Amino acid sequence: MGTVTSTPATPSATDQARRTLNRVLSFIFRFQSFFGLIIVFILAIVYSPVRNGDNIFMSERNLSNVARDVAETGILATGQLLVILIGGIDLSVGSVVALTATGTAYLLMREGSLSLPLLGTLDVSPMSAEMAIGVILVLGLIIGWWNGWTSERFKIPSFVTTLAMLSIARGLAHIWSDNIAVPISYRAGGADPSFEILRERIYNNIIPVPAIIMFAAAFVMALVLRYTSFGRHLYAIGGNQTASRLSGISVTRIKIAAFMLCSFFAAMAGIVHAAQLNQGSPNEAVGYELNAIAAVVIGGASLMGGKGTIIGAIAGAFILGILDNMLSLNNVDSNTQLVVKGLLVLGAVALQQFRPRDVE
Amino acid sequence: MVEQPMHMQATAEAHTAPPILSMRSITKRFPGVIALDGVTFDVHPGEVHALVGENGAGKSTLMNIMSGVYTDFEGQIVLNGETVHFHNPRDAQKAGIVMIHQELNLVPELTVYENIFLGREHKSFGSIINRRSMRRTAQKLMFDLGLDIDPNRPINRMRVGQRQLVEIAKALNLNSRIIIMDEPTSALSDAEVEYLFSVIRNLRAHDVGVIYISHRLDEIFSIADRISVLRDGKVVGTSMAKDISRQELINSMVGRSLDVLYPKEAVELGDTILKVDHLSLRQGRTQVLDDISLEVRRGEIVGVAGLMGAGRTQLLETIFGVYPHGQASGTVWFDGQQRDIRTPKEAIELGIGLIAEDRKGQSLVLEQPVTENATLAALREFFYFLNIIDHRAERKAVTEIVDDLNIKTPSIRTMVANLSGGNQQKVVIAKFLLAKIKLFLLDEPTRGIDVGAKAEVYHLIGELAQQGTGFLLVSSELPELLAVCDRILVLCNGRLTGEFPRGSFDQAAIMEAATRFNDAENGPSQQQE
Repeated sequence: MGTVTSTPATPSATDQARRTLNRVLSFIFRFQSFFGLIIVFILAIVYSPVRNGDNIFMSERNLSNVARDVAETGILATGQLLVILIGGIDLSVGSVVALTATGTAYLLMREGSLSLPLLGTLDVSPMSAEMAIGVILVLGLIIGWWNGWTSERFKIPSFVTTLAMLSIARGLAHIWSDNIAVPISYRAGGADPSFEILRERIYNNIIPVPAIIMFAAAFVMALVLRYTSFGRHLYAIGGNQTASRLSGISVTRIKIAAFMLCSFFAAMAGIVHAAQLNQGSPNEAVGYELNAIAAVVIGGASLMGGKGTIIGAIAGAFILGILDNMLSLNNVDSNTQLVVKGLLVLGAVALQQFRPRDVE
Repeated sequence: MVEQPMHMQATAEAHTAPPILSMRSITKRFPGVIALDGVTFDVHPGEVHALVGENGAGKSTLMNIMSGVYTDFEGQIVLNGETVHFHNPRDAQKAGIVMIHQELNLVPELTVYENIFLGREHKSFGSIINRRSMRRTAQKLMFDLGLDIDPNRPINRMRVGQRQLVEIAKALNLNSRIIIMDEPTSALSDAEVEYLFSVIRNLRAHDVGVIYISHRLDEIFSIADRISVLRDGKVVGTSMAKDISRQELINSMVGRSLDVLYPKEAVELGDTILKVDHLSLRQGRTQVLDDISLEVRRGEIVGVAGLMGAGRTQLLETIFGVYPHGQASGTVWFDGQQRDIRTPKEAIELGIGLIAEDRKGQSLVLEQPVTENATLAALREFFYFLNIIDHRAERKAVTEIVDDLNIKTPSIRTMVANLSGGNQQKVVIAKFLLAKIKLFLLDEPTRGIDVGAKAEVYHLIGELAQQGTGFLLVSSELPELLAVCDRILVLCNGRLTGEFPRGSFDQAAIMEAATRFNDAENGPSQQQE
């Protein structure tokens, strides 16, 4: 029974101490991902190899690389958080990255003619960067709508519908590219050179453009979650779907919108991915969904829905990215990195169990 | 003064047998709160000891200590003359103490008998589950209890009240010596309560000690031998039931005098706000509602009486647009216009609010603050433009309504899970008030909340009625309906079987109408949702 009306407790020393401890714990857990980030950051500095008296981890170039590597996970985590907030999960984002990266490369580079049944032959030429990006983002929305609609219409858990999409999108990527990677080149007759901006670093060649995209996406979504009814309703649906419906919220519409945004951000990550690698390959981005989910969970979100923040998810993405970077700098092989990453996710979630009950 | 010796006599007589269990100077602290402060409580074999008190008085905490849920406390528990210390509920169960929780602890997907034997399955050859033996035993148990419940029925196909009875059967199956019942009747119909009481009397005859927690004073006086009152974590009095009057009991519970529990405010009735014609609801082969027509006027409180499974909840839900058009039929006029309400969203936008039966499951987002819950249905009132929320206006409105409704909460950022039942219910009411509701559909609005909070809720309803809000009020507590309603409709098996204006309320006639179609079978009806 939630006892709120308290008898004025006689302030004993232990009581006082316990209350203080509780308050400190609440504070730490509230910003759990930040404390985690600081700890990982310090560890990375301490364990970084030193060359000519310079800490390699702290070098501009390395930090810039970390930001670039985190960008895709961060964008994916932003979308994934929305779906996790409503108590769902999207397992398809890795495949969607592969599909949209392949698609982007294809649209930028296609040439010659395309023969279609019934329609005859179509003359196709490379698309402009804006056009290609627009088409791919719309493709993302369509995939997300499909994920959301099938989940809602047939009352299938999103674990299953997006697992299906994981397979479907990967298959489509292979079909689209005929099983081979599509290279992007900026020679004459090749891709629109303005697409290359996605590979650049601005401000003294330090800040990678993908990182800016990630921060912009995260910032906008953080505002949406805090200041719009859509954001408020996501949390409410995740907390109690029945109560939300009986309070007049269009539960189905909002859930579908969450899936659409998730795949939209996956498409965005796919475009960045294609630009970074200068190609679109159907075999890329395997397991990215797990990184995105791990980032969201490390950021303090609950897989039951209703709890989680964008800032946490981005911090989670950075924790994973810095950890990867730290292990690579120390020449730890990639297999061991996977093991460490797994243990980290487990530890972060286990830590949630010590969260005091009254944390807002 | 003359009565004093007699009182002593009665007490001495009851105490001849030594207590089966006594709790001595129990103190339990939670961070910042002393939930129990030196509480001493005992129970004798063959006694029904009622424990009453407002929400938050410490009843549940005391019982959780007794049943081994809380193991960290000061004081001692003496069972049959020996000091015991339980490490978990299983220890307590082994010692013969079983608690039937307010929150149901059944696995919805399993059947009745599977739940009854959960963790204690009958086995043959040491490991193979013997379903036949379990079914037979469960059948016998149901027969002994006089319950008409099929042991093979899955729990999730039963109404809350029937689940409660299964929970009780499960506890009895443990051969317990002490049974703690926390609000066992909050979801039961009168007939089921009678069943329960006969079961309790039977237990008493077998020297089982029963601890009975309830907010319903009528029940306490009809079943309890002894009554203890808890207030703010202390026992303020223990007395034999026959030595204390209802008014004395209420006074000692709330610490102040509640002159009139449910005052009826005089209200000038306005024009018709809701008119329902030939409303029917059919789910699969079950005709849940059959051709129901009714009217509610502005400022009018219309009660809906009936047994469980009569279709009361579904009536409210159908008006609220919960069911798809394939299932529901009939016409609804609201505010003078015919309306086609297909979703709860449309209902709320018109000005109809439903306060559902299951507060925690259907009305609140427990893990979110008071603010978010209070504006859940009314967010559109707080937009700058587009769908951007004006947090300051929201905060202001919530602060005001928390004040108006006297919601006791440390702050508007407190999670509603941490509020007491009565205050949670007020948050639900606040949610619809902010949404500018003109007609309230209330489903058991006072279920499981204490006397003081009940009176406050009804006072609030009266005030809103004076301002012209209409009410369709479903309640299993007939005395409450009789006290506050202008008119009472009676449902039985999905049909309207009676209508009583305030001048001619008649408890017996209402009960007759509520049971008209229940043939020989008077027990808990097998009708499902």
